Amino acid sequence: MDISRNAAAVSLPVPAVITEIQEEIADVRTYFFRFEDPELERTFAVRSGQFVMCTIFGAGEFAVSLPWSPEGDRRHLSVRNVGKVTSALHALEVGDKIGIRGPFGNGFPFDAIKGRNLIYVAGGIGLIPLRSSIVHALLHRSDFGRIILLYGAKSARELMYRPLIEEWRKREGFETYVTIDRSEPGWNGEVGFVHTLIEKAKVPVTDTVAFVCGPPIMFNAVIGELSARGLKDDCIISTLERHMKCGIGKCQHCAIGRTLVCTDGPVYTFKQIKTLGETI
Amino acid sequence: MFVLSKADVPRFLAHLAGRYELYGPVLHPESGDTFFDRAADPSAVRLDAPIPTNTPKFTVFPHFERILSYKYDQTTKDVRIIPEELVRPKALVGLRSCDLKGLLCFDRFFLGQEFVDEFYRAHRRKMFLVANTCATPFPQCFCVCTDSGPYAAEGYDVNLTDLGDAYLFETGSDAGRAAAGELGLPAAGPEASRRRDAVVDRSIALFEPRAVENKAWISRAVNRLTTGFVKNETWEYIGQQCFECGACSFVCPSCSCFNIEDVNRVNGTTDRIRTWDSCSFEGYARMAGEHNPRRPVEDRRNKRFFCKLSYSQSKKYLRPGCVGCGRCVRVCPGDIGMANVVTAIRREITGK
Repeated sequence: MDISRNAAAVSLPVPAVITEIQEEIADVRTYFFRFEDPELERTFAVRSGQFVMCTIFGAGEFAVSLPWSPEGDRRHLSVRNVGKVTSALHALEVGDKIGIRGPFGNGFPFDAIKGRNLIYVAGGIGLIPLRSSIVHALLHRSDFGRIILLYGAKSARELMYRPLIEEWRKREGFETYVTIDRSEPGWNGEVGFVHTLIEKAKVPVTDTVAFVCGPPIMFNAVIGELSARGLKDDCIISTLERHMKCGIGKCQHCAIGRTLVCTDGPVYTFKQIKTLGETI
Repeated sequence: MFVLSKADVPRFLAHLAGRYELYGPVLHPESGDTFFDRAADPSAVRLDAPIPTNTPKFTVFPHFERILSYKYDQTTKDVRIIPEELVRPKALVGLRSCDLKGLLCFDRFFLGQEFVDEFYRAHRRKMFLVANTCATPFPQCFCVCTDSGPYAAEGYDVNLTDLGDAYLFETGSDAGRAAAGELGLPAAGPEASRRRDAVVDRSIALFEPRAVENKAWISRAVNRLTTGFVKNETWEYIGQQCFECGACSFVCPSCSCFNIEDVNRVNGTTDRIRTWDSCSFEGYARMAGEHNPRRPVEDRRNKRFFCKLSYSQSKKYLRPGCVGCGRCVRVCPGDIGMANVVTAIRREITGK
């Protein structure tokens, strides 16, 4: 097979070395990596909102959204130990190798949303795919209006990227609201489901775009609240996850309605999601 | 256009067998069924056999295929990635026009979208395709309703039409013309295309008594599926009938969903295996952590018919996904092959 260097990362996994492992929350770790091939390490370019297919040698491959921002962030993946392949990743150590194919998917539409307020609403590990977008927004702070993060998890132990959120909190022009489902000792912040923060934050709906990512039940509650306040369906953006085998629009496992999450998504507006006619 | 005398057919097949791995309709000795299969010997190919039970799609999209292997040494952390050598030039002989249309759907889907499927391309690019005009339709056939037969208008290197005393040998590519030249075939006379048309017309006329039931409603079904006007009750009925066996997908010339698994071998290497898959299986869209967005069977069933007939999917194939071969009609234990689904949609419209 004649596979050129660039195409290599499409059909065949390219090896990368795990350089650092960070514990995040229970069952979630962040893996920093660099490509074995120095040329690829220099040139591998992604857009915020895309995903890669990650091979764990001897176990298989899974699709994972990219938490790192293309602008100056170190490459890393944050992954929950949830199935056969991700548990094999969690058994790896620094110096072990993984395989990467990609990047795939459309990415967030930053050009189209310049000048607007950005509302990030995340539940649990739903913050991972939104991370790169938040980093981008902060790097280009003057391009946007208010930037608000509404983040919730079941408990304080299940809040992702807490040190990073504390950093963001200190940034001027970045409003942060964090909540947990039930109160617990040592927690002084908000209590309740994440959609209740929309009221507390006095979220604007004009000239506003909301990025929503989290489990289906949270997604529906948040969308309901935002819509009730008058935010239009095409101003609500989400990134979807599906079972994927190829990442390049061929295996069809990720089909939703007439679209494929891998090539038409993973970033959709709620307006699009509604017309797909399938459960999220 | 050339003429291939019936006595010259073995010479033509031997010509191909010398240059390609030869595949064609082969009779299974025990069941008497026809299968599209590798011909151990050119004489095993039966151009006059009934439509094969299986589709030729496995020649470009094998049931089970190693797409790469790799070896990862846990101690040295050394990883070797070994792409598979897939190129084996094949000649497919006796292709029914429906099956040829299926391959053309594959071409547009695997090669013509945003990404090229390298594994498919490796199989496809060195192929020689010989289509065969269907002079008589088989009981389940409805290619006339899906614009895919009984005569192949495009996509072949050679198309053969049985004119009784000889085959009309039409060439559709440089490779086809070269074959005619190397075989020293005589040019066909001016009456040849008229005789071919007569064969095709007679074949089409034979469809008519069968088409009255429902199959002619396919274009209405396309319309209904595309606009989302098929009632939920209809999908529920189809879902209840579905055994979730996947047979329809496996016999379909245009079904191309696949699964990929990494399989560890005793020698320490891992094979990445791509296998056929079916959207009718419950685990098809199930994610790690057991979240399954497509659990009810009717959600999965309508997916397949949407794929075969909706306009948005037709845009990928540049034609409807259904090629009218009728194999799903024959294999479905729940009696919801394409023809019956079209009937169900027709009943919605006409009420009877």
